[in-house]
Amino acid sequence: MSIGPDLAGMLRRCWQWLVRPSARFSVLALAGSGVVAGVLLVAAGYKANEYSLTTEFCISCHEMRDISYAEYKESIHYSNRSGIRVSCADCHEPHEFGPMIVRKLQASTEVWGSWTGVINTPEKFEARRMHMAEWEWARQKASGSRECRNCHNFDAMSPEKQKQSNYKRHVKAKDAGKTCIDCHKGIAHKLPKEYEEPDDEE
Amino acid sequence: MKFIALVSLFAAATLSSSTALALDADAAKALAKQNNCLKCHGIDKEKEGPSLKAIAQKYKGKAGAEDKLAKHITSGEMAKFSDGHEEEHKIVKTTPANDAGQVKNLVQWILAQ
Repeated sequence: MSIGPDLAGMLRRCWQWLVRPSARFSVLALAGSGVVAGVLLVAAGYKANEYSLTTEFCISCHEMRDISYAEYKESIHYSNRSGIRVSCADCHEPHEFGPMIVRKLQASTEVWGSWTGVINTPEKFEARRMHMAEWEWARQKASGSRECRNCHNFDAMSPEKQKQSNYKRHVKAKDAGKTCIDCHKGIAHKLPKEYEEPDDEE
Repeated sequence: MKFIALVSLFAAATLSSSTALALDADAAKALAKQNNCLKCHGIDKEKEGPSLKAIAQKYKGKAGAEDKLAKHITSGEMAKFSDGHEEEHKIVKTTPANDAGQVKNLVQWILAQ
């Protein structure tokens, strides 16, 4: 498709208007308005990002609200004796800025998936549950369960407070260089039916 | 003709009642996986706990076996480990909570190993 002479002319005039020195406004006014516009843009981006990290945003899609969120509400990460609750983003979004932006870009494909109805029925969701779970497990594995470790830490585990068998298993896992996701799968959402517990896990 | 109709009716009734009571192995295994049962009890491999096959062998056919196992996995009673120490057995969690039917199905599945 070629650009017509009218459009080309209009674009050229716009560009010339933009690069022509202003005879009316002072440098201070121009620079000041640039700074204000920049601050407003950054603030709007910050607020939008902040909103996209809320559980409210996540469950604005019915797939999340009716399936993933409903399952999480039955889990220990939603309700427990310590009165601590984690949000969707606590586990599924990195806290550090760089990795968070990368994750957000990846998540935009999930928004597309929602729009195109890839998992818009419970049956479709179940059919893709293993695929989605494997994807998330691989992401967690690649970062050494970074999001879990924002709260959990091998070194903070008390041999007196944990059950003996659990403590022994944690020590063994730490020595073997394992991280949380290696053993803890399906903790906030149902395990896919295709998932089989590795037989060598003890 | 009437006799055939009666026989078919009886057969259908028997079949439907046995289907209703049949063990749902997929649901039982999914519940076992979700509750991490298989982390300590292999199906046929002894881990920290006895294998499910060994449990089935020990309890199958014994009076009150189902109730005993159901209590063991829902009450948090003490479990004895091979190294001699004891700790509370994990309480199986169902959705909806405390669903006796799901626990019974799980126990029957264990006994069927």
